Amino acid sequence: MLAYLDAASGSLIIQAIVAGAAGAAVFFKLGWRRITSPFRRRTATAEVGEQRDER
Amino acid sequence: MSDLELEPASFRDPASTVAYLDGRVLRGLTKEGAEDFGALSAASFFEPAMTEGRLVRTTEVPLEDLPQSVRGDAWVLALEHERIPFVTYPYEWTFSMLKDAALVHLDLLLAALGADLTMKDGYAYNLAFVGARPVFIDVGSFERVRPGEPWAGYRQFCQTILYPLLLQAHKDIRFQPWLRGQVQGIQPQELARLFSGTDRLRSGVLKHVTLHGAMDQRYSGSRAQDTQKELKAAGFSTELQKATVAAIRKLVSKLEWSRSASEWKDYQHTSTYTDTERQLKAAFVERALEGRGTRLLFDLGGNDGTYSRVAARHADYVVCADGDDLCLDGLYRALKHEGNAQILPAYLDLSDPSPALGWRGRERAGFFDRARPDAVLALALLHHLAITGNVPLAELVDWLHGLGARLVVEFVDPTDPMADRLLANKPAGMHGDYRREVFERLLEARFDVVEREEFPSGTRTLYHATPRRTP
Repeated sequence: MLAYLDAASGSLIIQAIVAGAAGAAVFFKLGWRRITSPFRRRTATAEVGEQRDER
Repeated sequence: MSDLELEPASFRDPASTVAYLDGRVLRGLTKEGAEDFGALSAASFFEPAMTEGRLVRTTEVPLEDLPQSVRGDAWVLALEHERIPFVTYPYEWTFSMLKDAALVHLDLLLAALGADLTMKDGYAYNLAFVGARPVFIDVGSFERVRPGEPWAGYRQFCQTILYPLLLQAHKDIRFQPWLRGQVQGIQPQELARLFSGTDRLRSGVLKHVTLHGAMDQRYSGSRAQDTQKELKAAGFSTELQKATVAAIRKLVSKLEWSRSASEWKDYQHTSTYTDTERQLKAAFVERALEGRGTRLLFDLGGNDGTYSRVAARHADYVVCADGDDLCLDGLYRALKHEGNAQILPAYLDLSDPSPALGWRGRERAGFFDRARPDAVLALALLHHLAITGNVPLAELVDWLHGLGARLVVEFVDPTDPMADRLLANKPAGMHGDYRREVFERLLEARFDVVEREEFPSGTRTLYHATPRRTP
């Protein structure tokens, strides 16, 4: 889905804050989803052998 | 039939590659890249952006123009770009140049977002200058926007453009060494550590530096692909991407380098030249260049650009290189005010010029490797390099000879107030070899002296010389 550039999650999430009031709503919703969807987090870390490089 | 030469810095994006053929700048696009370009060229901002000189002039060319050997299967569309007379990199720009380049970038991005396009990256190297005009050159960066995604180039924009501006605007720290030292720019967490306490209250710091750094650290273990999906599910939209870019644009437009802003009021530097001497010097430069068809001229140590302007009457393009960024920023502001597209200020320490950098040391060419000048001015320069820089005269003459260009050089005697001031910082007798006779002997050994003029003061001499081929 992404173009060639290696994107960092923190740099994507912060934009919800930079975008202002409407973005803040997204940011909080994001946090809510993370809390209420533990399965999503488990799926992400269950990928064996795929290490994310240290920045 | 000459070969296609791939641009050493254009390898990261598989959809788009820049190459050179017989002096022309071409870009090959794959199917994906061609579709993105199709959307770009159909957008209403595309033509006006090129006409106004903010986006590099781009035309489609037949694929047949490219040699059979590289056309292959990969490229389905070819473009030709207007050639930038002399490329300089962000670490050779002054504060105001970086700021103006950033604004051009952001305005184009906003226009693109209005046409359902965005940019793949946010790299400072996507911009170049034509005289005092910033131009966006990476046409391959435009792509069709994917709804629900934030700007992928935001981090790069912070690292290579915004953070350097914040560093200089808020801390009066020169950004150029940071960018030259690390081509990928300044990392969020690093800058966050530099901006502490009340710094965080300054424009743009809390969100783009402090919080960005905190997010960077907190989510370093997350996969960007998953994060994208989560953001989209949480309601992120193209409108929010637009709001982000608009907010950054507002921030950048407010940033000022205070020292330069106050200098701008009177940037005429005091010097020890009389008006007569200035006129004589200008006339000498004119005589040396008149009718010679000089295409590219380097004004080394050009300072406030006085003689760059003289040279520009007889040369197609002038690069005014100097190590005083405050002075150069003032020159840039003046040139911008005039709409000058012929003189390019370049921030450069001549005793430590920009080297080759990046992947395999070829991505960013060294300053003196980019192009061969047809003529060089070295006025009121040598005494700085010889006395303060401790470079022997023989070395200096050898260096000037190596540039392979028509030379106008000034020798300032040790007794002249300008040289005397520098010698005062050194032990007496240290620069015993710094004498006119020595310089002339060295010069005549490597150059043919066309004209020589001594100033009425008797302590300064101008030479117009051409390098001899035999070493």
